[in-house]
Amino acid sequence: MGIVRDGMSDVKQDEGGSAGAFVPSRRTVLALGAVAASTVVTVRPAFAQTAGSVLNCEIPVPSPDKVGNYIASDGTLVPPGTPGAFAPAPRPLTGEEVRVLMNHGPTPAGIDPDAAQAYLNYIRRLQAGTSGFTCFASLQMPR
Amino acid sequence: MAGPLYAADPPGSVASADLEGLTALFHARSGTTHILAPPAPQILRALAAGPADAGEIAARLADAFDLAGEEDAEAAISARLAELEAAGLVWRQSRSGSGQPPG
Repeated sequence: MGIVRDGMSDVKQDEGGSAGAFVPSRRTVLALGAVAASTVVTVRPAFAQTAGSVLNCEIPVPSPDKVGNYIASDGTLVPPGTPGAFAPAPRPLTGEEVRVLMNHGPTPAGIDPDAAQAYLNYIRRLQAGTSGFTCFASLQMPR
Repeated sequence: MAGPLYAADPPGSVASADLEGLTALFHARSGTTHILAPPAPQILRALAAGPADAGEIAARLADAFDLAGEEDAEAAISARLAELEAAGLVWRQSRSGSGQPPG
């Protein structure tokens, strides 16, 4: 794995064996790792749902309190009719459909592929307390 | 052809702690906690300067680091971005630059 201690630090641990010593260094080596390596693990939160409920939970796009708004390609909500934005999803997306989308799988039936990407970006921006958030958060949990 | 453009939440919206080489990151907006290994935290910090594709991120990282395996930098960074995207820590942004992350 990489040998960087922290971010953009300019301090590198001495590799010469002087235990605990830190020496100033202008440059730190950052190992980018193998393409197949994994560098992100998500910790399961207390409210994670079961795998079964993940398949069946639903995420409205947009949430009921924002109904009528269009969804821009980056997932932000914009006024209805905004050029380049997409009309709300004709039906809530299921957790399984969103999980498949997140893995670059096929677009849900009846959903335009470009709109689906905008919906996915909207879903990624859901905040706690927003309809569909718990469903989305549970999708991110490792199985 | 340039690759997808990625954006991340500003560093101030996450809390992080160093864990002897790994980084624990609490993403307040999603309420989830992630454990990141290099170069994922460095990629997130590179995106603090603004949205970028894998090539631009490689250039930003190269400004601050000596990159190991530099010949495969873009491919490796693209793989890391896919992981970060799946975790909800980065997202793709249109090149028109329209819109900002909510709240």
